[in-house]
Amino acid sequence: MKNKIVIYIFIFISLLILYHFGEGIVFVEGSLFTFSSVILVSLTLYYFIDQARKGEEIYLRPIAGLKAIEEAVGRATEMGKSVLFVPGISDLDQVETVSGLILLGNVAEITAKYETDLNVPVARSIVMEAARETCKESYLKVGRPDLYSDEMVNYISDDQFAYTAGVNGIMMREKPAACFYQGKFYAESLILAETGNSIGAIQVAGTGSAAQIPFFVTACDYTLIGEEFFTASAYLSNKPDLIGCIKGQDIVKLFAMVTMVVSLILHGFFQAGWIRFDIITLFGN
Amino acid sequence: MNRIKNILVSLGSLDRRVIFIIVGLSVLIPLLKPDWVSLPIKNKAHSQRVFDELNLLEPNSKVLLSFDYGPSTMPEIHPMAIALLRHMFAKNIKVYGIALWDTGNFMSTDAFSQVSKEFEIAYDKDYVNLGYKPGGEAVIQGLTSDFRTKYKSDLSGNNIDHLLLMKNVNNLEDFDFVISLSAGDPGSKQWVQFGTDPSNIPFTTGCTSIQVTDIIPYVENNQILGILEGMPGAAEYESLVETELHTMGVSLTPGKASSMMSAQSIAHIVIVLFIIFGNISYFSRRREDRNNS
Amino acid sequence: MLLKRHIPLLIVIVVGLITLFGHFIAHEGVNNFVKNVSTEWFDIIASFAIFLGALNMMKLHIKKIFNKRRNWQYSILAVFGFSFAIFAGFLYRGAYYLSISDVNAGKTSIVSNIIAEEINESNPLIIQHKLISSKNDYKIDKIYITKESSILLKDKLDPFVENIKIKSIDWGSHVQTEGSLFYWMFFQILNPLSATMFALLAFFVASASYRAFRIRNFEATLLLVSGIILMLGRVPIGDLIPWWMVSIMIVFGIGAISAPFLNERKTLFGIVGGGILAFIVFGILMGWNQNPPELLSIPSIQSWIFDYPTAAGSRALMIGIGLGVIGTSFRIILGIERSFLGE
Repeated sequence: MKNKIVIYIFIFISLLILYHFGEGIVFVEGSLFTFSSVILVSLTLYYFIDQARKGEEIYLRPIAGLKAIEEAVGRATEMGKSVLFVPGISDLDQVETVSGLILLGNVAEITAKYETDLNVPVARSIVMEAARETCKESYLKVGRPDLYSDEMVNYISDDQFAYTAGVNGIMMREKPAACFYQGKFYAESLILAETGNSIGAIQVAGTGSAAQIPFFVTACDYTLIGEEFFTASAYLSNKPDLIGCIKGQDIVKLFAMVTMVVSLILHGFFQAGWIRFDIITLFGN
Repeated sequence: MNRIKNILVSLGSLDRRVIFIIVGLSVLIPLLKPDWVSLPIKNKAHSQRVFDELNLLEPNSKVLLSFDYGPSTMPEIHPMAIALLRHMFAKNIKVYGIALWDTGNFMSTDAFSQVSKEFEIAYDKDYVNLGYKPGGEAVIQGLTSDFRTKYKSDLSGNNIDHLLLMKNVNNLEDFDFVISLSAGDPGSKQWVQFGTDPSNIPFTTGCTSIQVTDIIPYVENNQILGILEGMPGAAEYESLVETELHTMGVSLTPGKASSMMSAQSIAHIVIVLFIIFGNISYFSRRREDRNNS
Repeated sequence: MLLKRHIPLLIVIVVGLITLFGHFIAHEGVNNFVKNVSTEWFDIIASFAIFLGALNMMKLHIKKIFNKRRNWQYSILAVFGFSFAIFAGFLYRGAYYLSISDVNAGKTSIVSNIIAEEINESNPLIIQHKLISSKNDYKIDKIYITKESSILLKDKLDPFVENIKIKSIDWGSHVQTEGSLFYWMFFQILNPLSATMFALLAFFVASASYRAFRIRNFEATLLLVSGIILMLGRVPIGDLIPWWMVSIMIVFGIGAISAPFLNERKTLFGIVGGGILAFIVFGILMGWNQNPPELLSIPSIQSWIFDYPTAAGSRALMIGIGLGVIGTSFRIILGIERSFLGE
C-alpha cells in the first residue's frame, strides 16, 4: 500500500512538472492550481477504488433514506397502490438527474419483485428514454420483463410548472402510496412534497439543489441531503468500485478541510506580518 | 378552563383549507386595499450596494443585462428589471440585453418596451436586445472569448455588425458592468463561475428570495457586488431609484414591488402566528398527555 | 451489446476526458470543441429529442380519448393546447404590420393623426417627423394578430396614401415580437398560469411551517426561532418591531432554556419578569427609545444570520454537493458507473 502511495505521489508531481514546463506552449497559462486539484482528486479517487477492488473493507454509515426505499415500496404493495418516481426536472446533462436514474433502477427492481405499479413522469425527452432503458433493464434483471411497459415512463412537459401541475394531477387522481423525488428540483419541490403529504404517501426525497433541501426535509419522511444522494448507487449496489469512490470523496473532503485551516492560519500570519508569503495568491487565476 | 384548553389543542390541528383561506385573504386584502396597510421601506445594505455600484458608472458606460427568469418568477424579478433599467437610462448608460432562458426574451421585450415609453430612448442608440441563446454556461464562456461566436444577430434578426452600439464590443471584457436577473440555473452562479470572476468584471445580481442562501457566499467574497434579494430587494431598489429620479426632477409611476410588500408583510405575520398557535397547541397536548399518564 | 453498451460507453469516456482535460490544453481546436461545439451538439440533440417526448405525450392523450379512459375529456384540452401552440409557432405567424410610402401632398399631418390615434401616441408631431424623415417605407409601430384587423387601418389611410402594404414579421421573430399571437399567448395564458402555480408555494409554505415547526428539541427550536426572525426581518414590518419587544422575546427565550433546570415555577416567573423589567428600565435609561442598538433590531439579526451562519452552511453544502458531483462524474467518465445506460 505504501508503494502505491509513493507511485501516485510520483505521478502527481511528474504531471505538475510537465504542466509547469508546458505552460503557454501546450497547456493553458494560469491554470496550474486547477490542474493540480483535478489530478489530486482523480488520483485520490482512483487509489481508493483500487484499494476497494483489492478487497479492503470500507465502512459506509447507514443512510435512513436509502434503507426506507424498500419499506416504502413494500407499503405501496400492501395497500395495493402505485409508486410514483419523479427524477427531477433537469436534463441528462445534470449529474443529479443521472443519480436520480440510478436510484430509479433500484426502485424499479423492487417494484418488479413486488409486482407494484410504477409511474415515472419526466420533464425531458432524453431523460424519458434513459429512464425507460433503466426500468426495462431492472425488470429484466429480476426476471419480470412481462410487467414492464413503456407507458410506465411518460413525458409531461418541459415547462417547470406545467410539469408540476401534471405530476400533482397524477398524485391527486391515482393517490400513490409511495412518492420518490430524486433529482434536480427548483421551486416545485414544496408543491410536490406538500401534495404528496396531503394524500398520505410515504415520501423519500434526494437532491443536490441546496435551496430545496429544507423544503424536502420539512415535508418528506426521509431526505437524502447533499452527498448522501450521490452515494446512493454505491450504497445500494455494494460494488467495491463505487464504495471505494465514496471513501475517496471523503478523503478529498479531508484534504479540503486541512487546506482551509492551513490557509486560514498562514494568511493570518501574513496579515500579522510574521511571514512574507500570502498563500491566497496560490489560489488566484 | 377546559374550554380554553380544548381551543388551544384544536388550534394545532386546523384543516389546511382554513390555513389556505386565511393566507389567501392576508395577501388579497392588502393588494386590493393598499391604503389600509402602508409600510415604509427601509433600504438594506445589499440593495444599497447595488445602487451605489451602478451610480458610480459614468454616462455612456456599457452594461450587459441578462434576463434569466421566466413567467413564474416575473412578479418577483420583473420589478427589479424595470427599476434597474430606469436607473440606467436616467444615467445615460447603454444597456445590452441578453437572455440565458428562452422565456427571458419575452421578459426583456416587455421590460424594454415599458421603460422606453417612460424615457426618450431609442433602439440601437440607448439599448440593444440580443435575445436568447441556448447553452447556459457555454454561452457565457463564448461571450468571454468572442461575442460573435454566440450572437450574430439581435432579437429582431438585424446583423449585429450593423448595430452602432455593437461597434467595439468584442467580448465580455468590453463591458463596464454585468447584471444577471436570475431565477435559477443558468443564472448568477454560472455568470460568476464562468464569466465575470475569471474576467474580473464587476457583477451584481437580482434573484428570487429562495436563491439568496446559495448566492450569499459569493456576495460575502465580493465576487458579486451586492444582491437584490427577491421582492423586498426589488422594493428597496425601487425606492432608491425613485428618490434618485426625484432629485433629477423625473417623476414616474411607482414600482410594483413596493405596493406588494404590505401583502408580503401581512402574510409573513400570519404564518408566524400559525406557527405560534401550532406550538401552543403542541405544548397543551403534551401537558394533557403527561397529566393523563 | 456493441450498439447498446460498448459504443455509448466509448462515446461517454472519450467525450468526458476531452471535455475535462480540454480546459487545460492551449489548442484552439480543442478549446473550441470544449467551449462551443460539444454544447452545440448537446443542444441540437436535445432539440430533436423534444419530438420524442411530444409525440409520446400526444400518443398517450389520443389513446386516452379514443379508449374513453377516466378523465379523457381533459386530454382533449391537452391535445388542443399542444396543437394550437404548434399552429401559432409554425403555421400562422399572427404578426402583421403596415408599411406606407408616398403620402399624398399636404396630407402628412392627417396621416400622422390617424397613425398616432391607432398606436396611442399622444404627440402626432413625432409621427409626422418620422414620416417626413423616412426615406423608404415607413413601418407603423403596431402589430396585428389577424390580417383583417390591419385592414381597418389600411382603409382609414387609403384616401391619403398611395402605397400601403400589409407585411408580416419574419419567421422566428414573430414568436417574440410584441403584439404577435405567440406573444399574446405567452402573456395572457402561460404567464398567469405559471405565476399561479408559483403562488401556490405561499399556501404550501404556510401549511408546511404550521405542521413542521414544533419545539421538539434544541435543533427544531433553533430552526423555528431563526425561521421566524428571517420571515419578520425580510419584510418592512420587521423594522417596526420595537427594541423592547425584541428584549422581551430574548428574555422569554432565556426563560425557556432555563425552565428544565428550575424546579420552582415562582423562580422561573421571577427571572422572566425581573429580566423583562430590568431590560426595559435599562433601555430607557440608555436612551434606546431614540437610538436602539443593532442587536435588538430584527432586520439586523436577520442580516447577520444571512451573512454568517447561512453563508457558512451554504458553503459547506456547496462543497459537499460539489464533491458528490465530482465523484459521480469521475465514475461516469471512467465507465465505472453505467446505470444510466441501463446496466
